[in-house]
Amino acid sequence: MEQTELAVVGAGPAGLSAAITAARSGLHVTLLDEYPAPGGQYLKGAFRPTAAHPLPTAEQQGRTLLRELAISGIGLRTQTLVWGIETSTAGWRLALYSPRGLDWLDAETVIVASGARELIIPFPGWTLPGVMTVGGAQLLAKEHGVLPGRRMLLAGSGPLLLAAADTLSRQGAQVVAVLEAAPLSRWMPHAPAMWGNWDRLREGWHYLYRLQRARIPYRLGWTAIQASGRDELEAVTVARLDRQGRPIPGSEEEVRVDALCLGFGFLPNVELTQLAGCDHSFEAARGGWVPCLTERLETSRPGLFVAGEAAGVAGATAAMLEGQIAGLAAAHRLGRIPESRLVRELMALAPRRRHLARFAAMLNTLFAPLPGLDALTTDDTPICRCEEVTAGEVRAVIDQGVWELDALKTWTRVGQGPCQGRTCGPLLARLMAHERGRPVSEVGSFSVRPPLKPIPLGDLARERVL
Amino acid sequence: MTSKADAVIIGGGIVGAACAYYLSTAGLKVHLVERGFPASGTSRACDGLILTWDKSPGAELALGQASAMLWTELAQVLDMDFEYARTGTILLAENEPALAAGRARVEAMQAAGVRAETLDDVGLRSLEPNLAADLTGGAFFPDDAQVDARRATLALLTAAQQRGLALHSQTEVSAIRRANHGEGRVSGVVTRSGEISTETVVCAAGVWSNIVARLVGLELPIRPRKGHILVTARAPYLIHHPLLEGGYVTTVQSAAEDLQVALVAEMTASGTLLLGSSRQFAGFDRSVSLAVMQAIAARALRFLPGLARVGVLRSYAGLRPWSPDHLPLIGPVEAAPGFYLATGHEGAGIGLAPISGQLIAGWVTGGDLPPVAAEVRPDRFELSPC
Repeated sequence: MEQTELAVVGAGPAGLSAAITAARSGLHVTLLDEYPAPGGQYLKGAFRPTAAHPLPTAEQQGRTLLRELAISGIGLRTQTLVWGIETSTAGWRLALYSPRGLDWLDAETVIVASGARELIIPFPGWTLPGVMTVGGAQLLAKEHGVLPGRRMLLAGSGPLLLAAADTLSRQGAQVVAVLEAAPLSRWMPHAPAMWGNWDRLREGWHYLYRLQRARIPYRLGWTAIQASGRDELEAVTVARLDRQGRPIPGSEEEVRVDALCLGFGFLPNVELTQLAGCDHSFEAARGGWVPCLTERLETSRPGLFVAGEAAGVAGATAAMLEGQIAGLAAAHRLGRIPESRLVRELMALAPRRRHLARFAAMLNTLFAPLPGLDALTTDDTPICRCEEVTAGEVRAVIDQGVWELDALKTWTRVGQGPCQGRTCGPLLARLMAHERGRPVSEVGSFSVRPPLKPIPLGDLARERVL
Repeated sequence: MTSKADAVIIGGGIVGAACAYYLSTAGLKVHLVERGFPASGTSRACDGLILTWDKSPGAELALGQASAMLWTELAQVLDMDFEYARTGTILLAENEPALAAGRARVEAMQAAGVRAETLDDVGLRSLEPNLAADLTGGAFFPDDAQVDARRATLALLTAAQQRGLALHSQTEVSAIRRANHGEGRVSGVVTRSGEISTETVVCAAGVWSNIVARLVGLELPIRPRKGHILVTARAPYLIHHPLLEGGYVTTVQSAAEDLQVALVAEMTASGTLLLGSSRQFAGFDRSVSLAVMQAIAARALRFLPGLARVGVLRSYAGLRPWSPDHLPLIGPVEAAPGFYLATGHEGAGIGLAPISGQLIAGWVTGGDLPPVAAEVRPDRFELSPC
């Protein structure tokens, strides 16, 4: 059985930063990532920077970390899925699946840096070919130089829409419009949180400026409400939204496009910490369910830390800073750095951390999907695409008095497909909360059990040391 | 909520649902209280096989046969489809001793009036072409069936509700009232949301039955026995009948403390496979063990090599209410008049739910009871006062 002092799950900005910080303190570190190369979604592929397109500061930092990783002595295992976690005599045992097959990693400490995934709001036609997430489209363009369509429409909420519009139009796509569902009319109260976050603001301005130069309309308070086409996307119906986020009847327009990119923000990936039995709480300003963490980013289970988006959606800069903290905390736990140094370092990082957290909370609040958007999910809209269950079927069950998320699985087949409810779980929670007039926090989330992602049975069965 | 009921059932799993169905059908005004939601405990963490051949001839088999017939009836009577399929089950033998044991099982079942036949190599492969090449035979029990356990629970409850059942989910029982300073007949059930006055309480709380029984001063010999199940991606043509290896009976009948694993494979209506089985005493811990997942996968692969490339989607572990003599505890308890038990079915709760409900209805309404009723009475154990 492979052993390590620190296992870091996820090699995006947070994981890279955590692994490098811990390795500098002398820890034996193993860095695991599902993808073939480290960097996470954020550092995948890149355009060569030019005067007109300088690299954002966070991306520069991230690229520095990638270069340092190569000479750090950190054991990097790519194409490696962490599908289970248990306690062991050493601390934690991670169940891995990679081209080597199935194996195990015993780690004295673990830092979970599993990032976040995109949230979409389903509406009729969202499962048509040609409809995808904003992040997915951006990745295709950045990493593979592939455009998902020629004429494209972007809809959703949050700054990623702007960055993606820029990427896609630079790659040659005709971006018809960017629809931002949030009216952004109430940004003034948030101005104090913006103070000092000049890098992020400059980045935002830069994208807005690029959009204007490219003559791409940025429409506030609009969204896509229906996608149509015979075998693939041909047209999208867009509508203006009222203050609650409900589409205003009569405002509909039809836009002919061959690709629609959706993104309503991010959800922290908390499956691994849920499986490990850590306490979680619902924090809307951090993107939803997040693990309860100490100042040192330790969960309620000793020796298990979380950094980056998995601890709350806050962007790459905050992720790298949290990686640093978690890396130091792990090194401290294993006795490599004294308490005094840890306290000193934490204090030095604290002001910057507070600043970033405030800014993130502002963005998450400003761009939070409005409750009225749930009206887009009409009864005939598929809500669990793996098992083809419609929102109407789920609402009928809720009307019968079924009030628990897990009970929905008993009544319908939601959440029982290959994605394990990763996509539909949060949507069902929103729907349940909406129907019952209760906060999403009270609805809970699907219970999580191994494997976190499907594994071929033959590989699972192979005789191993356990 | 303050209400009156002819009977209050505690526990909304398959057994409680069956009790609710038969008591409501008998015309009683029934309330069912469930701590979580219907089928939130063991009844959604199990397979859905209705077997007779794994039962020992005698009381256990008599229960199994009677219940299997009731399931056939329920499949026709209940409105909600619960994926009942009378597929028959196949017993697989890995080697000559297992084959011999299989033949003995067939003879014993035939003697007891259960349809059963031995399968040779050709017979086995005509039923299941995808089995491992080295398997040379087994046995077939054509009357066995399968259901979706969760949907079956809901189907029984829905039918009971049509007959007047009041269902209280998210309702935990905090006390059971008794007349005569807590010594006499039960008189009511107290929950956080109110009290239901009743002279009849049925405990169908599975592995959690002791929590309920202690409210009337009883201590039951029930222990949680943990079982794991894997769920695969859709592979609809891989098998056509539920498959069990001969060793399964040994694990079912044994009371061994440590982990035991034997193949059980069931194709669901949606095309996914449920793969079991494991049995171990591990307290009330419901977490999935990675090592047990591996052991079950290895067992399944040994009999079905075609599973190698089929994805395992998820796993779950359920707690089966184990009883020392491998018979459930069904019926009244002398020490607590008006208090009835329907628990201790271990891994046979789905199969035995209807007969359990029918026996309870018989006891409560004073109707006719079959001879087996006496053999499963809880008072065969010393239900030691605590």
